[in-house]
Amino acid sequence: MSVSLRRQVALVAAGCALATVPWWAGDMYQLHLAQLIGAYWVLIAGLNLVVGFSGQLSVGHVGLLAIGAYTFAILAGTHGLHPALATACAGGVGALCGLLLGLPSLRLPGFYFAMATLAFALIVSEIILAQSDLTGGGVGLAVPGFPAPFDTPQGTYWLILLVAAVVTWLTWNVARFMWGRGLIAIRDSVVTAQAAGVPVFRAKLIVFVFSGLTAGVAGSLFGSLQSYVTPDTFIFELGLFFFVCIIIGGRGGILGPLVGTSILTALPELVAPLAKLGTFFYGLLLLVVVLLVPEGIGRLFELALERLRPRKVESAPVRPDLERLSAAIRKGQR
Amino acid sequence: MLAALIAGLATGALYAAAALVYNVMFSTSKVLSVTTGHTAMLGGVFGAWFLQTWNIPVPIALAGSVAVGALFGLITDLVAIRRVLARSDEHLWLLSTLALATMVQQAVALWWGTEPKPFPRLIPQGFSSGLADQKYWLPVALAAVLAIGLELFYRRTLYGKLFLAMSEDSFAARARGIPTDRIRALSYVLAGAMGGLAGFAAGQLTFAYFALGLTLTLNGFIALAVGGLGSNVGALAGGAALGILSSVATYYLGGEYQQTISVGLLMLVLLLKPEGLFGARAGRVV
Amino acid sequence: MTTLTPTRWVALLPAAALLASTSAVQAQEPIRIGWLSSLTGALSSAAIAENQGVQFAVDEINKAGGINGRKLELITRDTGGEPTKAVNFAQQLAFQEKVHFIIGPVNSGESLATVPIVAKAGLPNLVIGTVDELTNPKKYPRAFRLINTNRQWIDAANDYALNVLKRRKVAVIGDTSGYGTSSAKTATELLAKAGVTPVYSVLIDANKTDLTDELNKAQAAGADVIMPWSAATGLLARLINTRGDMGWDVPIVGHSAMMAPALRKLLNKPEYWNNAFAAGYQSTTYDAKGKLPVGTQALMDKMRGKLGSGEIDYMLWWVALGYDTVKVVEHAIRQAGGTDPAAIQKALENTKGLRGVYATYSWGPDDRNGFPDVGIVMNVASSFKDGCYKAAPR
Repeated sequence: MSVSLRRQVALVAAGCALATVPWWAGDMYQLHLAQLIGAYWVLIAGLNLVVGFSGQLSVGHVGLLAIGAYTFAILAGTHGLHPALATACAGGVGALCGLLLGLPSLRLPGFYFAMATLAFALIVSEIILAQSDLTGGGVGLAVPGFPAPFDTPQGTYWLILLVAAVVTWLTWNVARFMWGRGLIAIRDSVVTAQAAGVPVFRAKLIVFVFSGLTAGVAGSLFGSLQSYVTPDTFIFELGLFFFVCIIIGGRGGILGPLVGTSILTALPELVAPLAKLGTFFYGLLLLVVVLLVPEGIGRLFELALERLRPRKVESAPVRPDLERLSAAIRKGQR
Repeated sequence: MLAALIAGLATGALYAAAALVYNVMFSTSKVLSVTTGHTAMLGGVFGAWFLQTWNIPVPIALAGSVAVGALFGLITDLVAIRRVLARSDEHLWLLSTLALATMVQQAVALWWGTEPKPFPRLIPQGFSSGLADQKYWLPVALAAVLAIGLELFYRRTLYGKLFLAMSEDSFAARARGIPTDRIRALSYVLAGAMGGLAGFAAGQLTFAYFALGLTLTLNGFIALAVGGLGSNVGALAGGAALGILSSVATYYLGGEYQQTISVGLLMLVLLLKPEGLFGARAGRVV
Repeated sequence: MTTLTPTRWVALLPAAALLASTSAVQAQEPIRIGWLSSLTGALSSAAIAENQGVQFAVDEINKAGGINGRKLELITRDTGGEPTKAVNFAQQLAFQEKVHFIIGPVNSGESLATVPIVAKAGLPNLVIGTVDELTNPKKYPRAFRLINTNRQWIDAANDYALNVLKRRKVAVIGDTSGYGTSSAKTATELLAKAGVTPVYSVLIDANKTDLTDELNKAQAAGADVIMPWSAATGLLARLINTRGDMGWDVPIVGHSAMMAPALRKLLNKPEYWNNAFAAGYQSTTYDAKGKLPVGTQALMDKMRGKLGSGEIDYMLWWVALGYDTVKVVEHAIRQAGGTDPAAIQKALENTKGLRGVYATYSWGPDDRNGFPDVGIVMNVASSFKDGCYKAAPR
């Protein structure tokens, strides 16, 4: 699938806009939001392959995020490892936990798998509380930031942007080549995919492990952003949030979930004055989107684009050369 | 130790009731709804409200709780299931029931408060009865009654047979003139009523607490998965197993790893016998 | 000196006007106070009561003309008990709303996350969470705590159990939440310092429906006092009920949530609440003649209208604490002569014996915990009346 010139220009423009956010963002708070969106996106990009492409309903990825954040906090904080190395280790541990979770669970049907991931998130919470010597228990751990040149807010933003860009590029590659088609085949019809030769379990497991890796890395970034992690930070609602970003953004695409993530992260800030009713409206919004626009916001964009610039369908009628055809048939009959 | 067993059995009975609710909802719609636990939560909360704030006599409050549960079941079907099933997309009913469950949980938290509130005595009884206290045997009795009632319903009544027909093959059922939409709504009403009843009976055990819904959804599901989807006997067995195992494990190991142990049980059963203890190995239509 | 010709006058006028207006604006510019409160979610009842105190204090000060002519502007954000939201709102208040002070959050879990962020922004932070790690003169120089620390609660309770009730065989009960696990750990440490090892120690899930096992085990271990360190009302109610159902007459001495008015309805029998003592405050304890301290009574009389008709059914100290946070802000601004954060820090560091309603506060250059040890008084758990309690017998 080649990328047209118009698309390339759009990508470059978007890239420039994103890179210069620290200068045109309103204030530190909006920059913080941008950093948060970036950190979430690192996890969601990986999760997108699991939920959006191969259709595995993982609601408990917050557990992997927690594992990443705590690994980073323990290695870089308590043990003084260099943050870059700690991040790599966090990614590795996340991938390992993804493997351990995926091996037994990925064979299960949809709802079972969802519940298994939910239970996994709860178990991670329990273990964090119980192993208080390692994790600080209820009190939590302070998380160090990254060293120069990433220790300023702008620097942190660029670090997150860099990591997010790499992860996005990786997932985009998976999506547009044969892998992506194989995953979508698994999502839509497992039996047909198997019949066509897609190694179903292996594919699901590999993307799940990859999503564990990105979750681990996202955990490091998220932890250093929050500067302090407690078990209360990694509640079920956060795992639900990741899942919802992808569904609302639209499955099977990369841009859709990115837009979904941005909107849903910024939304609670806009709804802040409504104080008490926040989570209720969040559920209501989810319900409305699921009932009315189930393909997600990405689909809305596509529809709008179609409206504005309808694709010209070139009809290429087949006109066989009847003379040659009949001559060939006669020749063959002889 | 005996106390642990009895308490575990009682909690397990509540999980078993939730599993039965799952079964009824699943039978006609092939959907496992996240709102299952919330029907019981509503039964408990509204029961406490009727009994304490309005001083309504117990049988009428019971009927009220059941009605509230049934209404919520109907809302689940109309709002979260009907449109979504028409698109036959696996993710969406999970998401819509999840959204509805979140909304209900938050609404109850705003109205009822986030602290657990007391559930009054249903049958006059002293408090020193120890293990014979009604908060233990009410849920157990209820689970038994529900299971027996469901079996009789399926075997002896026409509507029960309609449910069975729909769960076998909904297209064939529709071809035979069964109004599948209405039957599905009826099954959700029944499931909601059962949930409300369960919440009411177990109220003294759990207190009237808004966050009960999600906990019960997960634990009821574990009971269901262990016992086998679609089997009522399995629901009872799964619930009992989960409740007793949790309780005994906590007795010996302390409460720190409770969740881990419950899920460990789930994983073990799913690895050894994926369709559950009493579930039927379903042939897959290819 | 050149004379000011008319043209020069005219040239000077805009500058003068600008100068006058900016200083006028400066004088008029409101003092912005950010208030992070978990009005929904965990500990919402405490937060709502504290909110009443905060709002009343702000209104009272504004009605009296503000501080040095500047009005107070209160900007409230509901954090819902979630640390991520608390961090977001702390950032928003500090950088977008540009507040001068941040009060809260109420929950310790949220505070642990926001205190470093507010410290990085260099804003004064009035801390009202009890977890000991929240204040640190070196790391968070502008965070000043008004409420007591966990240690102070635990010390007072341990003192009562060991030295007044003369018990030695302690059963420590915590819950599996963040707060419960760390409090139980601190309690065990402080008991060890007094030379006592608990005979039974357990962490119970706050939603566990039955505690007969745990109490049986405690009884079998020979415990002669139970010390719960959990803020979960459901758990505490079940604990008290089980003790009563068992007919075990062992004293319970522990967390102030033991005397929460909400417990009354959760108990099987009202007399089950006897022989239970909770850590309370001198400011909300009736003396031998049944009178409250002067400051507390004055606040109650002032706020009677706002608190609703009839007796109040929540702990008054929450309201008093909220009220005091704003009064401390007022004191700091008056001492510092403005809202410059460094001056505020100096002013609060040098504050000794500041009389508030909830307590008398003293901070120091190396001390950010302003609550005095003597401010904690053990109360009789069942003696709730109109927001305050009776003192436990010594």
